[in-house]
Amino acid sequence: MKLDLRKKLMKTAAAALSLTMAASLISGCDKSDNSDIKIGLLFSKTGATAITEECMINAAEMAVDEINEAGGINGKKLTYVFEDYATDAATAAEKIKKLIMQDEVTAVVGCYTSASRIACEPVVEENNSLLIYPTFYEGEKPSENVVYTGAVPNQQGDIFIPWLAENVGKKFFLLGTDTVYAQLINSQCRDALANIGGEVVGEEYVPNGHNDFSTIITKIKDADPDVLFVNLNGDSGVAFFKQYKQYGLDANTMPVASYLLDESTVAALGAETAAGHYTSINYVSTLDTEANKSFLERYHEKFGDDAEMTVVGEETYASVMLLAQALKKTDDYSAESIIKAMDGISLDAPEGTITFDAETNHMYLRGRIAKVNSEGKFEVVYESPELIKPNPEA
Amino acid sequence: MFIASQLMNGLASSALLLLYSLGVVMIMGHMSVVNMAHGECIMLGAYVCYYLYTVAGVPYLLSLMMSFFITALFGAAVERLIIRKLYGKTAETLLATYALSLIIKQLVNLVCGSELKYVAVPFDGNISVFGVTVPLYNIFIIVITAMVLFATWLIFYKTPFGMKMRAATGNRSMTECLGINCRAVDTLTFAYGVGLAGFAGAVLAPIRGVSPFMGASYVTDSFMNVCVGGLQSLPGTALSSLLIGQSTSILGGIWNEVNAKMLVFLIVVVMIRFRPDGLFKKERR
Repeated sequence: MKLDLRKKLMKTAAAALSLTMAASLISGCDKSDNSDIKIGLLFSKTGATAITEECMINAAEMAVDEINEAGGINGKKLTYVFEDYATDAATAAEKIKKLIMQDEVTAVVGCYTSASRIACEPVVEENNSLLIYPTFYEGEKPSENVVYTGAVPNQQGDIFIPWLAENVGKKFFLLGTDTVYAQLINSQCRDALANIGGEVVGEEYVPNGHNDFSTIITKIKDADPDVLFVNLNGDSGVAFFKQYKQYGLDANTMPVASYLLDESTVAALGAETAAGHYTSINYVSTLDTEANKSFLERYHEKFGDDAEMTVVGEETYASVMLLAQALKKTDDYSAESIIKAMDGISLDAPEGTITFDAETNHMYLRGRIAKVNSEGKFEVVYESPELIKPNPEA
Repeated sequence: MFIASQLMNGLASSALLLLYSLGVVMIMGHMSVVNMAHGECIMLGAYVCYYLYTVAGVPYLLSLMMSFFITALFGAAVERLIIRKLYGKTAETLLATYALSLIIKQLVNLVCGSELKYVAVPFDGNISVFGVTVPLYNIFIIVITAMVLFATWLIFYKTPFGMKMRAATGNRSMTECLGINCRAVDTLTFAYGVGLAGFAGAVLAPIRGVSPFMGASYVTDSFMNVCVGGLQSLPGTALSSLLIGQSTSILGGIWNEVNAKMLVFLIVVVMIRFRPDGLFKKERR
């Protein structure tokens, strides 16, 4: 009986082995077809950040389609392989390895969470491949195999803090989730305020997942600041804004300024609670330019009127476009020469013209400060006159 | 003034803590089942409240009651299908309910999406007395918690069902000998516990985020609270909620939230070391 079972197991194993071999042979045949350029897309279709990443997937697909409609890359068609990393860093590393080794993609556009990027970096570096990371994030020492198309804190804070100090008030109260990210941007805020004669009247951190802000609000009332500089993760942020309103704080006299206030947070808060607060980012979907309007029109035509566009979606679209332009300029598809080809590219993105910075592998971006209006939409109240140089290691 | 504000805040936090711990008192205290899916029961209640109150426009108080009944129904089904088979096997129930918590979380994530849901605050606004601002909703929380506590006490001590339940906890085989259907009592007790968790979720929904993963932040606090209070004791849990809520609030006020949380945990650990049965130990013969 036992022997039987073992035999059966062996048979199954042998069958499975031959199947996988056959599969790899078939996919091996695929690779020999050189008329296409294949890229990888790595985003979460499931998991905690799936909703945020949905518009990134859509935007990437749209970009690929548009590139092909316009004649592809020097006559070659651009194709993609999609993988779902399910908001899990270990899965991300596994999937990017599969994309590079098995699908032999030229480059991967993907990752949203910092954890997934950090997990993917060693894999891309080992295989000397290329990852394009399309979201704003906390900044790091740039990897030679990664191109970062989103904003880093200095591209948000350099204009934000001085503008707030001048237009809202000089007394700041800093509040954040007890993470490296929040402490970093709070210390940057502190430095910026010191330079312009501002003042920090309080600084508080709460544990991850904290959602009772009554104590903090008592402290805020005691400190009586002009601006609340608040960077709380996920649920915490929503709980804070709701309790802020419950305790009778008023956006007219003490508005909240946050990097983490986006279209999805506003939806969870309701327009009434979110109105009057500020964020600083390079793109909002309400941007009033021809390029953006046409971009949104094409997007809604493809994915329906309810499909939301946020900064990370726009940055993903720009990432694929940047990659395509670089591929047009080179015949050698190694990471090094693609990045070299990006040098000097000025990209007409929906957010306006942005340029690649060869020194840091990041982008020069236009800073924008937006305020939530009474309908729950972002209104741009300030635009930096120049593109801001990225400083990822600040 | 600062201390007065903090005391009022602490009172509201204590009431909330008590409200979402009551389900644990019922299930862990009276049935010796460690329900790892307690947080997800809270989450389900919050989602029921979201769909009824925000999406369908049902009045808030009615949504609250419906959250209780719908999650209680769910609890009854869980007891019948899973928990019933596992009484007396602590490790197995622990695993089964943990698995259940993962399944519920991912199902809700798949069906409803992972984004935070919007639930308006029903009693918006606040009152100021001598410079102490108290949101109306906090007053509502304190009142509703007192009412739920009172109702639970009534059920426990003043109804035939409560008597049967206490009998079943005290001496199961003797109770069965007397012709009482202990299995029915089990189902009702479990359902009531889960219903309370769902009710708490619906009360939390307007002021905290509603998401598939919201449960995690309440589980630790409620288990800790019930352990301090003394598993089966309603007054014990009420007192411990007050102690934990107020000390977190006061310590957080004069120090900061991160340290306050650590210090309260430390105090709890030391206290449990010296009073392992909690503040109100149930004497057994």
